[in-house]
Amino acid sequence: MSGELPYERLLQESLKHELKVVNAHLPVEQKPLSDLLREEYPHVVCKDGTTHLFRRKELEYLAGLLDAEEQGALRLPLLIEVGAGSGEMAVLCPGEAAAKVIACVLDMTVEPKQGRVTIYRPQLAVIRRQLRTTTQYIFPPRV
Amino acid sequence: MPQQVVKVTRPTKIELIRLRRRLALAARIQKIVKDRVSILILEFLQIARQTVDAKRRLLDEFAEGYRTLSITAGYHGYIALEKELAASERDLGIAAGLRNVGGVRIPAFELKEAEPGVVSYSLADTSSWLDRTAELSQTCLETIVELAELQRSLELLGREINRTKRILNALEYLIIPALTATIKYLYMKFEERDREERARLKRVKVLLERK
Repeated sequence: MSGELPYERLLQESLKHELKVVNAHLPVEQKPLSDLLREEYPHVVCKDGTTHLFRRKELEYLAGLLDAEEQGALRLPLLIEVGAGSGEMAVLCPGEAAAKVIACVLDMTVEPKQGRVTIYRPQLAVIRRQLRTTTQYIFPPRV
Repeated sequence: MPQQVVKVTRPTKIELIRLRRRLALAARIQKIVKDRVSILILEFLQIARQTVDAKRRLLDEFAEGYRTLSITAGYHGYIALEKELAASERDLGIAAGLRNVGGVRIPAFELKEAEPGVVSYSLADTSSWLDRTAELSQTCLETIVELAELQRSLELLGREINRTKRILNALEYLIIPALTATIKYLYMKFEERDREERARLKRVKVLLERK
């Protein structure tokens, strides 16, 4: 379109950048907790090529909650899906171990539905406070 | 505020379809950006609280540390204390990396732990006050590193919130209203064209009937 609002091109560039940036921090591959505990600098590589460092204390806290088998099954970082426009969010729990961790952190029983545990804003704050580096946000592009 | 209308080269149906697609895309992006802002604000507030807490802790630890240091100095004397501490210097290691919070890269620092239980001064010649002072200075160091990470995170998150809010405002108050107004304008144009067409047909019909 030839006629455009002033600064519209600039805004459109910003929007493109925004969409690129919004999920660029997702890990290329999640790593099992047992592997991370063995690393000197526990980290994962993100889609944008950067590294995401885990805090060792958090990993040790998680290891304290799970047995050896579960430690191998828990893949980190845990992903928190932010629902579009609604106050609801969901922690993606592909296995039992992730659900157990969420239950322990929230101190309540959780039942994953289709591999997700639905949480609300106050619960999100609790999870993020305890697991600051071992959780990541995911913004689904579908709305 | 008067709504700006995007200038269209030709008011055609194709243009209308294109604009409607753009509006749908803009609305989608707006929702995502809104979510991102709310998440960033949540993180910002949490880090702000932790920063305040860390600062308070650091001040308390420093106060306690200086108190025990002065008692230690009084107990051993400055010369003896300096002699003991001269050999106790050691290099500090900090593991530095990045962490990603909702698309914002924030620094991550972690103080590498020294060998636990190893002290470089004579335990036989010194009192427990010196042990306490060493312990407190180690805690202070850890808190300083934590505070450095928190303050930088706070700054970066604040900057990102500002930037994202501008985009959100542009979408909310400029792009989406302009697109909506343009779509409305195009509908009005089409209706007007229909009315003109109908009037023209009526006139042609009258002319044909006269003949």
